[in-house]
Amino acid sequence: MRLRKLFNTENRLAMLYSRLIRLGHNLARGGTATEVALGPHPFATWITLACLAGICCGACGAAELSVNVVDRQGHAVGEVVVTAAPVGVVVHPAGNPASAIMDQVNRAFVPGVLVVAVGARVEFPNDDSVSHQVYSFSPAKRFQIPLYKGKPHEPALFDRPGLVVLGCNIHDQMVGYIYVTDAPYFGKTDGDGGLRFKDVADGDYQVTFWSPLIADAPESLTRKIHVDADGVTSTRLQLTRNLRTRPEPRLRQGDWEY
Amino acid sequence: MRCAKWLLLLLCVFSARQVCAGDTLTVVGMIDMRWVSSNAETSYLYGGLGPLRFDADNDGFRLGRAMLAGNLRVTDLVTVHAVLDGYGDDPGNPIDLSELYAEIRPFPTNAVRWSARVGAFYMPVSLENRGIGWTPVYSITPSALNTWLGEEFRTIGAECEARWLGASSGYYGDVALVAAAYGWNDPAGVLLATRGFALSDRPSTLFDGYGRPSINFYHEIDHRPGFYTGLSWRHHDMLELRALRYDNRGNPGATTADGEGAWNTHFWSFGGRLEPANHWTLVAQYMDGETTIGADSLGAEQYNMTFHAGFVLGSYAWGRQLLTTRYDDFGTHQYSGFFGPPTDEAGHSWTLAWGYDLTERWQILVEGIRVSSSFPPRLSVGEPLARVDSQLQAAVRYRFRLER
Repeated sequence: MRLRKLFNTENRLAMLYSRLIRLGHNLARGGTATEVALGPHPFATWITLACLAGICCGACGAAELSVNVVDRQGHAVGEVVVTAAPVGVVVHPAGNPASAIMDQVNRAFVPGVLVVAVGARVEFPNDDSVSHQVYSFSPAKRFQIPLYKGKPHEPALFDRPGLVVLGCNIHDQMVGYIYVTDAPYFGKTDGDGGLRFKDVADGDYQVTFWSPLIADAPESLTRKIHVDADGVTSTRLQLTRNLRTRPEPRLRQGDWEY
Repeated sequence: MRCAKWLLLLLCVFSARQVCAGDTLTVVGMIDMRWVSSNAETSYLYGGLGPLRFDADNDGFRLGRAMLAGNLRVTDLVTVHAVLDGYGDDPGNPIDLSELYAEIRPFPTNAVRWSARVGAFYMPVSLENRGIGWTPVYSITPSALNTWLGEEFRTIGAECEARWLGASSGYYGDVALVAAAYGWNDPAGVLLATRGFALSDRPSTLFDGYGRPSINFYHEIDHRPGFYTGLSWRHHDMLELRALRYDNRGNPGATTADGEGAWNTHFWSFGGRLEPANHWTLVAQYMDGETTIGADSLGAEQYNMTFHAGFVLGSYAWGRQLLTTRYDDFGTHQYSGFFGPPTDEAGHSWTLAWGYDLTERWQILVEGIRVSSSFPPRLSVGEPLARVDSQLQAAVRYRFRLER
């Protein structure tokens, strides 16, 4: 009992620390506001403590998990959601998950895919020249935002894990995704198809990959990986089926619409 | 038609009241001024049988179109659309309504989304007239097929659509089934029998007559509702396919007190739009049908005419420019009845258009059309059976958008 409590405390600190690291990475590579928490975090003190703990306990949480996704031809695949959840361990959420933003620009959701922790609040500003009516009827989150422009609505709470498919009731071609996860480590691959989780507690993890463009069977997109206490554990996913194509919405100035 | 007019008027009043109540209103306006050079036979708009909008006697500087389109959100789920048009060729009302309808579109609660339209609107056939107010987006002038649909047809009734939204199942696309019941469109077919096909960006409006002699297409003669039903499939934003069956169920024997007969017009329509790469768009449509008017209004024998029209269009867009070429083929065949010389028509045309968006508000379009056609009724007005008509147009458009 005491061990488990200790593990959970350590795990929580490690997660907070890794979140801070991720935040720094995102900012360093010019990440968008949709990927980083903005403003003073309500748990800033905890994060600072976690940071200190992380620095002090560098030896006990230095493991890294590195993932890489390539398509059938070996080319990097970006914007793939990757989650890593410890096997056989109950994970408690670490404080308030970061809030996130799903914007609407040029009749498209930006980003097209957003990954958030269970309990995250997501804002839906509309920076388009036309109004939108955002909805989802996915089991993980059913909601509707009446017609709007700008940022008039309260953020929506995503309190159940699962995939939330977003649509606009006026512009049917608009499709967006919010991947809500209860895994402690999650993110999206970058342009090189890579993603690194730092300060991962050692143990067995279930790593899951998802993208709306991946056509491979879901069973082949989940794998168990053991992360050693030290060093970098790497895993590479090569897709066996061609990626689905989805051309960007084509807008000309001449195409006026409501 | 009187009922329809009252319905439309009520919608207008309701809309105006809602505007005053402070609801969301978007107004889009367009003024199209153009210079035209044409050697064509006199257009039907000016009393001839020509296949183009302008002709040798009616060209030069012209008003292409003055349009005001309003989209009013009455509630979160109900919108009212209205389009006012002026074309500068009608000696009567300079401005008239082209469309006025209310649309209800509830939020989907599962993969099938229902929506409905009530009022007066274009049927969902044209893959060219995708702009607000049925404006063609690839050229100034739509194809012969879509010209005819704009001239003689407006759905005055109710339409219901069920759309399967594929995104929820991981599929980029959707499939829609549409069905409509309507009235007040019994004269549809008379212009095709009188003049044949044409290429013109001058659709009819709801209350004014069209051309000379003036025809009003929107009134009820036989008190039988018509229908259409269609299926469409959109795949990956790259391909759109549509099929539609139209039948106005006109009673060919019915006439009004002053002798105007109902036309029974029905057709199949098929269309596809492919956007395979970032620059190219390919559009093709085809229709095939028949129109009939009864013995009672014209004499002993029933008048029957089959018709077909189709086109293939290729458009290349880069930057602010758009280059389009289109080949049209059309024809009619009268196989019984008497209505002057037999109206067998055979024709084809080439269109080349270039568009440039100067700014978001200013647009320049240049278009050339060459139509070759053979049409026996021309002989009765002293024109040769076969002609080649050409028209060159340069248009400057100013558009604006107001929201409140």
